[in-house]
Amino acid sequence: MTGRRAVAALAAVAGLAGLPATAWARPSAGLDGGTILFFADTLALVARNGATLRLDGGIRAGADAIAVDLKTDRVVLAGHAFIQRGSLRADADAIALDLDDQRIDLLDLASGDHRTTRALGEAVQAPIDPARFAFPDVVDRYAYIRAKHAAITPHANVRFRPAAFPTSVGAVPVPSYLYTFATSAGFGASALPAADFDQPYGLWGTPYALTTVHGRWIDGPPAGPDIGLQEQLANGDVEYATAAVDQPLRGQMSTGFDAYRRMSPIYTISAQGTDALGIWAAQTSLGAAFGQAGGRVTLVAGSFGTSSFDTSLRTPDLPLVGGTTLRLTGDVGYDARRGGLLTVLPDAAHYATVWRHSLDAFLATPVVRAPLGTRLSATLEGTRTWYAFPHRYDQLTGTVTASKQFSRAFTMLGTYQNAWSAEVYPYAQALFYPPPNPPLLAPDGTPWYGYDAFAGVAVARSTTVTAQLTPNVNTSAQLAVTRSDDFLQFDGIGPPPWTVTGTLRMRPFPNFGIQLSRSYAFDWGGVRWVPRWSISITP
Amino acid sequence: MTHPLLIAAAAASLFRVVPLACSDDRLAIAGGGVVRLAAGASCAGIVPGKAIAIELDADGRATPRALDPAAHPASAADVPKAAYVLAPVAPADADTADQVVVTIDVFVPPRTPATDDIYLSTDRSDWNPAEIRMDRVDPRHYRLGIPLRRGARLAFRVTRGSFGTTERDAARALPPAHVVIGAPNVDVRVTVAAWADID
Repeated sequence: MTGRRAVAALAAVAGLAGLPATAWARPSAGLDGGTILFFADTLALVARNGATLRLDGGIRAGADAIAVDLKTDRVVLAGHAFIQRGSLRADADAIALDLDDQRIDLLDLASGDHRTTRALGEAVQAPIDPARFAFPDVVDRYAYIRAKHAAITPHANVRFRPAAFPTSVGAVPVPSYLYTFATSAGFGASALPAADFDQPYGLWGTPYALTTVHGRWIDGPPAGPDIGLQEQLANGDVEYATAAVDQPLRGQMSTGFDAYRRMSPIYTISAQGTDALGIWAAQTSLGAAFGQAGGRVTLVAGSFGTSSFDTSLRTPDLPLVGGTTLRLTGDVGYDARRGGLLTVLPDAAHYATVWRHSLDAFLATPVVRAPLGTRLSATLEGTRTWYAFPHRYDQLTGTVTASKQFSRAFTMLGTYQNAWSAEVYPYAQALFYPPPNPPLLAPDGTPWYGYDAFAGVAVARSTTVTAQLTPNVNTSAQLAVTRSDDFLQFDGIGPPPWTVTGTLRMRPFPNFGIQLSRSYAFDWGGVRWVPRWSISITP
Repeated sequence: MTHPLLIAAAAASLFRVVPLACSDDRLAIAGGGVVRLAAGASCAGIVPGKAIAIELDADGRATPRALDPAAHPASAADVPKAAYVLAPVAPADADTADQVVVTIDVFVPPRTPATDDIYLSTDRSDWNPAEIRMDRVDPRHYRLGIPLRRGARLAFRVTRGSFGTTERDAARALPPAHVVIGAPNVDVRVTVAAWADID
């Protein structure tokens, strides 16, 4: 990436990031206490030891303990409770109020419930409404976050100062931590490149925006730490826009964006883009749905003057006999490249844009009962693509999956897939697939003369057998063995003939779950342990 | 007036409750009303907002006891209404401390790559797309049991491990999140119509 582009990208993300901070990110309640506990699963805050609450309008309240239910925005003050606005003050044994409502309930042990408003006028007697005095029954040691101050933005986030994570092993206490609970789907979108470990840290946010800095680890090459800055804007499930800058400590900066909008019950539009290692790519797509049928228009552009365009239409799943379904998809579009796509031709410049059309048929069986208590399903997909230049590309892929549940805790699964493809250039096959000279070298430097047999037809056959053990709800172990028998395949080229992947999911503490995965490739091109630690920590 | 049969039913019963306040011979219970303390019982040791056990005698009077999770599974909702000197107008909320296991069953479409793992992405992890891997039941059926506290709300979506492979509805649009509430024997069944990356 050029320096000018990097500066522009940083400025764009920083500009976006500044929006919520200045315009919308205003907490409406502040909670203080000797101890504040946060429970992520119930979105409950409990403050003890000198608990006080500050609300808009100069209102201040306090009690022996204060609970805030972030799902309902309800606050319960328990024991020696008071609420004060200027010189007006009301005392009670317990007080219930809402963050976004005027009503205040004052519970007196001798006389029952009295109601007033935030104006703190004269209170009137009322029956006790138990739902308003629901103080959560929490076990302090299960708290996800422990703090002394919490600033609450309803329906969006809580900022804790300082924040400790008593049950998250390895989580470092931080001076300030933003926990967001806004439920817009767009907050799940990411424009950052993939990482082997990614720990987001919220800077600021609102119900519609979130700015995060990400501490990351890339397992290479080159391997090393990495830092990312991401801004997310989201409006419910209707639309989102995300932009990110990523800077590895060893490596080049990259940028990305991702945006989506549901325009109507029929139409959706999306756009994505990346710029990394001096290569950029952008895509925009318009989708349409007509019942179960639909279509899509996609335009892609990238570095080196490359672009493509696609218009596709798909049928619904058409029922055939015995629950089998068939779906057809037709596609028309082009591929383009400045200087020509067919570079082996002397007049390549004449083929800067090559139109194509294709037809895809996808056949799927239902899941059926088979002998020995197994369950079986199969799919078959065939695609042919015709190009304006004498050229066609065929693909045929068949998959069969069988499962047998030996008990509720133990299941075995087997999947066989055979994918065949052929690239055909009538009368010019040898021109497009000449024997390499010098011969192709494997990653370890071994010449592979067998590559000469490749003339455009390839096949990928894989068999995966998986054993899955789930002894209890908190533990699951999976071991998968895959055998790949492909053409093209040679030491380090193509998939390893044998791989084993182990995955373990467990929950060693009540609110701390971890998931680990590791793969082993059997002596293939010098690769043994595949660096694919997948770590996921859940509250 | 207190019904004698209700009082008899509550005799010598232990309940786990969260006290809101205690003064003289009266104790306010979260999600409930106000009960009277038994003769000789006091507010000493009661901390507002921290769960305790209470023993109700035949007169519906409460004696605070030390917490024993195994011996006091009941909640404020089970305290007989007749025991309150200042009674609530509606049944109290259920206890939120109990852990329950909810089951989520996911059925994927035929175009799902046969060897892909299926994950749940939830709001409690800021929508980490690979938060929890599901267990496979058969070729197109996945299942996961999740321990939740009773009454806890969990919003989730189904993915194949990344946001780019999140489930889509039949119109290929991002659907609203599924929601499960922590309660015993809850089984949520989700049928995925399509994936974001597979048209």
